[in-house]
Amino acid sequence: MNLVFENLRKQYGSNVAIDDVSAVFEPGLIHGIIGPNGAGKSTLINMTAGSYTVTSGRILLGDRQISGLKKYQIAGSGIARTYQNIRLFDQMTVLDNLEVCYYADDAGLAWKEVLWPPYAKSREAERHAQCRKALAQFDLLPWISEDAGSLPYGRQRMLEIARALVRDPSVLLLDEPAAGLNHAETAELTARLRALRAPHRIMIIVEHDMDLVMALCDRILVMHHGKLLFQGTPAEVQGNTEVQQAYLGTSNDIDEIKSAAQDRRAKLGLRARQRSG
Amino acid sequence: MWGTIVQQTFNALTIGAIYALIALGYTMVYGVLRMINFAHGEMFMLGAYAAFVLLALMVPDIGAAGALALTAAFFGAILLVGFAGVGIERLAYKPLRHSTRLAPMLSSLGVSLFLVTGVQIAAGPQPRMFPHLFPNQRYEVLGGSITSVQIGILIAAFILMLGLHFFVNRSRLGIIVRAVSESRPTAQLLGINVNGAISLIFFLGPLLGASGGILYSSYYGIMTPTMGAVVGLKAFTAAILGGIGSIPGAMLGAFILAFVEVVGTALLPILTNGAIGTEYRDVFAFAILILVLLFRPAGLLGEAVSEESMVYKREF
Amino acid sequence: MASTVLTTAPARAPRWLAFLLIALAAALIVATPFLPNYYIRVANSLLIYILLGIGLNIVVGYAGLLDLGFVAFYAVGAYTYALLASNQLGIHLPLLAILPIAAVIGAATGILLGLPVLRLRGDYLAIVTLGFGEIIRIVINNMDWLTNGPKGIPALDRADMLGISVARPSEIFWLLLVTCILAGLAVWRLQKSILGKAWAAIREDQDAAAGVGVNTTNAKLAAFAISATIGSIAGVIFAASQRFVSPESFSLQESILIVLLIVIGGIGNILGIIAGAAILILLPEVLREFAEWRILFLGLLMVVLIIIRPGGIVPRSLGPDVLFKSLFRR
Repeated sequence: MNLVFENLRKQYGSNVAIDDVSAVFEPGLIHGIIGPNGAGKSTLINMTAGSYTVTSGRILLGDRQISGLKKYQIAGSGIARTYQNIRLFDQMTVLDNLEVCYYADDAGLAWKEVLWPPYAKSREAERHAQCRKALAQFDLLPWISEDAGSLPYGRQRMLEIARALVRDPSVLLLDEPAAGLNHAETAELTARLRALRAPHRIMIIVEHDMDLVMALCDRILVMHHGKLLFQGTPAEVQGNTEVQQAYLGTSNDIDEIKSAAQDRRAKLGLRARQRSG
Repeated sequence: MWGTIVQQTFNALTIGAIYALIALGYTMVYGVLRMINFAHGEMFMLGAYAAFVLLALMVPDIGAAGALALTAAFFGAILLVGFAGVGIERLAYKPLRHSTRLAPMLSSLGVSLFLVTGVQIAAGPQPRMFPHLFPNQRYEVLGGSITSVQIGILIAAFILMLGLHFFVNRSRLGIIVRAVSESRPTAQLLGINVNGAISLIFFLGPLLGASGGILYSSYYGIMTPTMGAVVGLKAFTAAILGGIGSIPGAMLGAFILAFVEVVGTALLPILTNGAIGTEYRDVFAFAILILVLLFRPAGLLGEAVSEESMVYKREF
Repeated sequence: MASTVLTTAPARAPRWLAFLLIALAAALIVATPFLPNYYIRVANSLLIYILLGIGLNIVVGYAGLLDLGFVAFYAVGAYTYALLASNQLGIHLPLLAILPIAAVIGAATGILLGLPVLRLRGDYLAIVTLGFGEIIRIVINNMDWLTNGPKGIPALDRADMLGISVARPSEIFWLLLVTCILAGLAVWRLQKSILGKAWAAIREDQDAAAGVGVNTTNAKLAAFAISATIGSIAGVIFAASQRFVSPESFSLQESILIVLLIVIGGIGNILGIIAGAAILILLPEVLREFAEWRILFLGLLMVVLIIIRPGGIVPRSLGPDVLFKSLFRR
């Protein structure tokens, strides 16, 4: 089942954020989306997940049109995501953060859970077993009854991925999963993400960390000013002069990338201070 | 018929001017702190009571107070309420600035309860006569009649709003206030005294609200400790209608609301053959409020809410 | 890694505290029916507010939606009883028939009010629900032909259940106690169900909740409907015990009072509701001589508590289940 972008366009007023992007994402592969800040990478993720509306064009998963559906319907059709700024349910336990993902399956029988305790117990046990599996995959079991918001930053990143993974989605959207992680954590993340590759799963990673992208991805899309500049294997991307010129080549852009990185560090510093304060 | 239309227009303008004065306070506080100040209606009520007390201290017979005493009481009262507003912000809202979004709102509910009961205990729960600020005279204009009280209210409100307009758009302090309401963190980084700006807003908002309360009481000749709740809610509706956070929006919303109220109250009994009478007047404000929030939450002059800024985290 | 984490101990209460609280509750329950009527009436009023608190807490505490118009549902229940058990319309149904009718009407009102407003958030939702609450009160006040307007409906039927009279304060006390316990149990199980988890997720981050597949509109509607049902049932019992209803009982201040008791006691926790109701209902009774000062004091208390203890008196994690478990630990 492929995920297909058909002539996607996103416009804010007269400002075009995504301009006529068409692409095909195949199961079993890890796709990277790169590009300088403001190129429209996150917008693509947010449109796919239904957080942003699509101005024109379509998004299809297999034969099913995804664009235009509500967020929870998109999630229900097997598309899971993480966020650029971690968005966990801070004052819920780690376990509950995952368990709530089963709402779509179990909500219809919630009344039975209330009225018939044995049923509630067995359903809960089944859900917990699944959640534990996903948590174990990310070595999060020691934190299982902690509040998600009290976890260290790196663990919160992992938990967010575990939450996206718990219902075995066919599409996994990762929006800058390495943002704010240190070297060791990024290495850990790379290894864990590699292990998530599965024949039925489309993985899409938006990331600034080129080492991670080049090491992990099978296909890479290069975005520039809302347009799809180039797509190919990591080797092709690295060898393409157009990409080098537009994205990596000119000294201007390198400065842009550097300042973007600095920007992010500044933001993270701010965040850390807010947290401690 | 023509006479009625002119007459109702005068009435709507008067009420609208008073709503506008109060709505400005809601909108300025929301613009900076993203907080609905439930105690703001009480500033309106406090204004009337403060003016009354000041008058009673200055002249033995309130009904026969001279122009000087009335002017002094008016300005004395609005300044007092302005300072009270700053004090309330310091004590009840400032400690909650980094708390959840709803904590200051709940706190303002408590302040409102405190002030209403406080005035009830001090002045008694019964309505009290309030003197006319202006000599009461009636003029025939365009086939309708307008009283000098109405003209006085319109002029006073106009001057106050013009003053606010120039303050916000032309003065250095006004620019600071606007900068803080645009983005508090950025203003802070630029070295702006954010606390000072917030205090200033909690001075100006109650000051304008209090002036509205004095004019309102003088218009109807009466004041009660509970009058802040309903009028406050209507002014809040006006602020939302115009686009909360927008100063011209608050004024526009206030006049529109006043017209709808006046026209609706005049028309509905005729349209429904008396089945729905004037007692449903207050329902209009709520109905408008709900409709605006549902269909145009940004209001008439407010900025459309972008998809990104819809991202709130937990509210309490 | 794991060793560097400060693990918080699972919520537990000291055994003596658990014992004390449970014994106190049991003693009060057993003793109340034998006290003079005045005290029973105070206890009944306390139980009504606990019931209202349990209902509103679903929306405010679990789902994190500030509803300032909850009193509307309370009014719907009370007027349902008043109209179906008095000479106003000449209908005299028994309490047992009215309870389910009121529950259905309450749920329907909850859904009707909920449908348009639930896409609003936070402060806007608060102000719109406040508006709805006031509209319902104004309508009741002015629909003289149905509700008898501000004069209210007097001389409601003496309630009975299958031949057992439920009209005297001590009889109402038992009815209220059973209703509170049933409602508390149901809501507690709801909170632990998948629906309760969805409510919590909506409270924490509505967009992320939708992102993991929660149909937020449905979950919020369910919260509104269930909360309205409980509010409506509380209204029925209130009307049956007063045998008189008038719009005065359903003012905005009542709504605020109910929000207040949840906030003061501890949002999202039944024990917190009991504590909050005890403070807000019993304190004014104790301070009866200073009648007008008590609301002044409540306003002050509200501000002070929100500042010094924003989470309420009782921590969210300390539920009745924790209390019982602490009692029988080891």
